[in-house]
Amino acid sequence: MQSKTKELNPVLEVNNLFASTEDLPILKGVNIAVNPGEIHAIMGRNGCGKSTLSKIIAGHPSYKITKGEIKFTGQDIQSLEPEQRAQSGIFLGFQYPIEIPGVSNLEFLRVATNARRKFLKKEELDTFDFEDLVREKLELVKMDSAFLSRSINQGFSGGEKKRNEILQMALLEPKIAILDETDSGLDIDALRIVASGIKKISNKKTGIILITHYQRLLDEIKPNYVHVMSDGQIIKTGDSDLALELEKYGYEWTDNFLKKQ
Amino acid sequence: MQIIEEIKNNELVSNPSEIQKICLDKLKLNPLPNVKSELWRLSNKSKFSSFLDYSHKNKESKVCIPYKNSSQNIIRLIIGENSKINLEEENYSIKELKDSEIVDYIKKNISTFDQNDHWSDLLNHCLSSKKNILGLNISGNKIPSIEILSASSSDSFNAKTLILFFKQDCKVDLLQINLGDENSSLSQSTYLCLEENTSVNHGVVSYGENKSNLLNSLNVIQKAKSSYSLGSLHFKFNYARFEIRINQLEGDAKTIIKGIQITKNKDQIATYTKMEFNGPNGILDQVNKSLADDKSHAVFEGTIIVPKTAQKTDASQLSRNLLLSKNAKIDTKPQLEIIADDVKCKHGATISQLNEEELFYMRSRGLTLEEASKLQLSSYFQEIISCIPVSKDRWNLLDKLLEET
Repeated sequence: MQSKTKELNPVLEVNNLFASTEDLPILKGVNIAVNPGEIHAIMGRNGCGKSTLSKIIAGHPSYKITKGEIKFTGQDIQSLEPEQRAQSGIFLGFQYPIEIPGVSNLEFLRVATNARRKFLKKEELDTFDFEDLVREKLELVKMDSAFLSRSINQGFSGGEKKRNEILQMALLEPKIAILDETDSGLDIDALRIVASGIKKISNKKTGIILITHYQRLLDEIKPNYVHVMSDGQIIKTGDSDLALELEKYGYEWTDNFLKKQ
Repeated sequence: MQIIEEIKNNELVSNPSEIQKICLDKLKLNPLPNVKSELWRLSNKSKFSSFLDYSHKNKESKVCIPYKNSSQNIIRLIIGENSKINLEEENYSIKELKDSEIVDYIKKNISTFDQNDHWSDLLNHCLSSKKNILGLNISGNKIPSIEILSASSSDSFNAKTLILFFKQDCKVDLLQINLGDENSSLSQSTYLCLEENTSVNHGVVSYGENKSNLLNSLNVIQKAKSSYSLGSLHFKFNYARFEIRINQLEGDAKTIIKGIQITKNKDQIATYTKMEFNGPNGILDQVNKSLADDKSHAVFEGTIIVPKTAQKTDASQLSRNLLLSKNAKIDTKPQLEIIADDVKCKHGATISQLNEEELFYMRSRGLTLEEASKLQLSSYFQEIISCIPVSKDRWNLLDKLLEET
């Protein structure tokens, strides 16, 4: 089944992608194309391959592409290292942001921002200029500047970690942002803050993929397309109403699509 | 093993002092440590031989201070090079020990030495001439930081001894720097005595050059209500061995030990610690880290002894290690010997590699593998470096380490 929404010049194009980890096949022919300014949602049962797809696009070394291709702004990115993908504008918001004790959040954000700026041939920021920039972005996710002096994600609550991910997205200004279950573990207020941050950052040039289990995020951020993933494939694509149907009927309803294939 | 042959043939020292005579007599019968004993079995034999292969008669060491003179208020002493030290200020005093005090103190210690446990000290006292023994009485609580340097010269074996008595209520930052020159061996024995209510923040930074070796022995006695914090760093040695023995004489004292050893190439660096509680309510917080790369070998063995008199002891000993190469090796053995029945003691050891998920997280934000590894290592070092009393304008230890690794 095809789920392409290929029209203009997609910022991200995944064509017939097969991938495995430790010889275990996980993706079994994924197709998706995201144009600038579009918001796509990917939904599906646990273990269907959603997070794997996001990690493979970001270049996680534990996964091996066995067939197919990933194109970013028209270029095949298979040979690129994770940092080259990030510098060129691919952003992955982690489902479980990693805690790195001892590494200052502020310094990490500065090095990451400058890596992206260097790629964009913009002037790198010194500590003072970067602090001005980061304080402006902190407003978007309603984070206190005290977070900057702490170690990366260490001791952060679930909500704080997710807000830190969106802060990074705001600083890096990616062309494609894949947000893996950014809504999981968030209370209603935190969800609204995160969703509002994402909306403020999104623009006509940025494509967004939201990986989620719940309609509540999609109530805040209305997607252009909703894809249902099952057993390593996208089995159905529709508009935002598809998420409502999923909420109503559950994933058993989508099993019928597989049977019809 | 040139030095051992000279000990056997009575040729080591021409006019031995009283202490040298005592130690030479002890070593003559049994000149080498028991290589099958727990303390020595992991010691690389050929590297240990090379440690003993330099002549101690060649030349005296000359310290090249590895950084610019600081404008800060620091008392800097170089073992073997200083003339008389006698400081009597309003808030503190630092005075040299009399020769007789030094002799009495070392003799008293030697009489209690187990030859195998204290082999390094015995060898040191055989070779350390009067000029190379520095003994100080330190008192007061507004003492400027004290920095004591010890060094070896190329193609030589140098032995240095340091004895420091910290008087009651004394509070001080002490940094000891051991520098190994190319193709050299340095034996450093240090004795610290902390009287009641003293607080000593002690840093030991040891680094060598091409094919330098180090035998570094540290003996600390703590009286009640004393606080002793040790931050140590050993790197760039062909062969180095750091022996730490701390005795909380009456309990009711606090000890912090944070150490790191970094090995590369085919280096071997080992740390042995023995912490004895001889009274109740003692506290220990110990973390030892090893980072081994290439074909190197790092060793840590730590023992905590809690006899029946040491009730309510609260001790923690962790050994956290990073293997950076599949050909590197780390041996670690934290152990507890507990007789007292009302104590809190824990120990543990981990050996891991750089965390792949942490590296990927940082790389997914645009940091290169090198930058991400550097940040990760810097956080690994930071916990230890922060315990070393070093001012940033003189030593940027972290940068130096990251350059090396």
